Amino acid sequence: MRARIVAAVVAVLVGLPAWAVAQEADTLRREIEQMRQQMQNAQREYQKTLDALTERLQRLEARPRQAATAPIVVQAPPGPAPPTLTDLAKPHQPFSLYGERRQGQFLLDFGVVGDFVGNITQRNVEKATGGTFAGRENRFFPREVELMFFGQIDPYARGEVRIEAAEEFEDGARATAVNLAEAHLTLLTLPWGTQAKLGFLRNRFGLLNERHREALPQTDQPNVLTQFLGEEGLRESGAEVSWVAPLPFYLEALAGVFNGDNEDAFGRGSLKAPLVTGRLRTFFELGEAHALQLGVSGASGETPDKRRSTLAGVDLKYKLTPEGWRHALLTVAGEALYSNRRVDVFNDAGAGEDRTRKRFGWYAYAEVQPWQRWVGGVRYDWTQFPVDPGREWAVEPYIAFLPSEFLRFRLAYKHTDRSHRVTGPDDRGSARVFDEILFQATFFLGAHPAHPF
Amino acid sequence: MRRLIAILLLAVLAAAGTQPAADAAAKLRVIATIPDLKALTEAVGGDLVEVESLARGNQNPHDLEVRPSLMVKLRRADAVIVNGLELDQWADAVIRGANNAAVVPGSPGYIDASRGVPVIDVPTTRVDRSMGDVHPYGNPHYTLDPGLAPTVTQSIVEGLARLAPEHRATFERQRQAFVARLEPALGRWQTALAPLKDARIVVYHNNLGYFFKRFGLTQLGTIEDRPGIPPSPAHLARLVREMKETRTRVVIVLESWSDQKLAGRLAEETGARVAIINTKLGTFSGPEAYINSVDANVTALAQAAR
Repeated sequence: MRARIVAAVVAVLVGLPAWAVAQEADTLRREIEQMRQQMQNAQREYQKTLDALTERLQRLEARPRQAATAPIVVQAPPGPAPPTLTDLAKPHQPFSLYGERRQGQFLLDFGVVGDFVGNITQRNVEKATGGTFAGRENRFFPREVELMFFGQIDPYARGEVRIEAAEEFEDGARATAVNLAEAHLTLLTLPWGTQAKLGFLRNRFGLLNERHREALPQTDQPNVLTQFLGEEGLRESGAEVSWVAPLPFYLEALAGVFNGDNEDAFGRGSLKAPLVTGRLRTFFELGEAHALQLGVSGASGETPDKRRSTLAGVDLKYKLTPEGWRHALLTVAGEALYSNRRVDVFNDAGAGEDRTRKRFGWYAYAEVQPWQRWVGGVRYDWTQFPVDPGREWAVEPYIAFLPSEFLRFRLAYKHTDRSHRVTGPDDRGSARVFDEILFQATFFLGAHPAHPF
Repeated sequence: MRRLIAILLLAVLAAAGTQPAADAAAKLRVIATIPDLKALTEAVGGDLVEVESLARGNQNPHDLEVRPSLMVKLRRADAVIVNGLELDQWADAVIRGANNAAVVPGSPGYIDASRGVPVIDVPTTRVDRSMGDVHPYGNPHYTLDPGLAPTVTQSIVEGLARLAPEHRATFERQRQAFVARLEPALGRWQTALAPLKDARIVVYHNNLGYFFKRFGLTQLGTIEDRPGIPPSPAHLARLVREMKETRTRVVIVLESWSDQKLAGRLAEETGARVAIINTKLGTFSGPEAYINSVDANVTALAQAAR
């Protein structure tokens, strides 16, 4: 019995470790199996991640690389598609750009021009109000103080508004008046090289009419323009279309339809009998130093008494700009105007007769600018009077000093010789030959002025 | 009159017919406002573009006269590349006069190369014209710094790719090639200009700020009193005194369109050397035009430093 117990104890003692080892081996195997599965899962995950990263890397490598030296990487947003005619017809928000405005940033440019003119002349000229600035002889006065606003209205159009204050002489009295000088919009994105300008504007007629008074090459405008178009020139309400030909040289054609409000040349003021204008302009550069512009202009409308009035003009401008110069050394320009007007003339018996008045006038000037700050020149005028008989000529040497682009002083002497005496109101004085000293101070505030040819 | 109109119409049709249609279809007609931008556009555009500059190399880019001959160039252009920052404001009037809807501001063909440029000399206080013809948006002469060419060319690539997206990869490849050629040139220029680092430089107009910053050069003053204002005698006297008091070499740097006689007089009075830069501007063409142009400027400066 005892032997059986001993044998059993021995068997247990021998068998237990073997069983325990077997149990432990099973546990280890399971753990190893679990670890292997975890490893396989991890490997699959890693492989997936690796594949994704490889693919991304390949995509990135396929893209163009940025330059190592580029200080800033710029990704410019794609621009708007060019507008089609349908786009133009659709209503849209013209002021959507306001959202991009930074503090203190305006969405338009503005500037102020101050143009002050003075003149000294003989006493009889003052009494006759027969000077260049009629009714303001022997005075220093603001000829034009102009407030300008201009800028893009939207991607398709640009706008410009000018308001002016000036001392005027009308009906025997002087007064400072505030007027609208110009207000117009330009459609910039029309097809086939065309543009349209609508509103109240200075007509592109001849060489100088488009220019505001402060931008004239001399203190006063040429006599022929004053006689044929009035002191303010041709400013009309209406529309004009311009076309620049797709040629190797510059050729611009424009045509316009306006009310015909200008009282000196037309005056009908109605679209039923509109003022029609046209102009052709071309330009040639003859080497680097020489440039020549040629133009022809026409305007035809009706006078208040429904008679036809037609103006035709030719103009020329030449500039010599030596190599490397910032300004022209020599400028020569001139313009000739022809007027054909039906007028009502009273004969000796007091009856009205329909007559034609054919009148002519021209001017030419030459200007030299040997230094950036100094300009000198001379202008010659010759013109008939548009309705009345008679003519006048004038010569005007001048000198200008420009401390900067934004400030100019000008001094001129003008000698005028008329074929008959000009008599003032109430026969207080008369003048036929007279002399004037003209002086001018002009400043520009704000937006930078362009330098047109 | 009818005959005149007929002749004009025939001339227009003939001119339109003489345009090489296939070539026109393949190449973008690009107008840059200044020669540097033309050179950079040629570098990235290669044979895919036909580039012209409005300003000639011997013209001051600040105040170009708005001539109809400039409008002719833009009349048939697909794109215009402007310097911006108010350097070439005259271009706005040229663009308006060209009657070409493809290049008006806001259209895809209007490319402002200044986008992304880290602009320097931006006024931090109120400015007005008593300071001269100041640039309120900062110094606009970034194209003179070759280190900024990668940024500028990137803007040009983006602009050209808007018009010809099918060529974007080519534009970018050509840009990369240009930048790769530029890198060793930058090192070469650094070496050539190293002797100038001890010198003090007087410029006519304050247009080399980016360039000096890139190459570690020091500006002593400007000949013009304030931007765009010719120098007064008092200003010149002050400048001469400063130049004489400087214990190191002084070099006067100016462009071909600046007052060279005045610079010569200053040099005579102070013993300074004179370097005229941008003399070759606009005379080079092709992909190397920009690098050749900078090469010419660096050579002129390095010679003055000897």
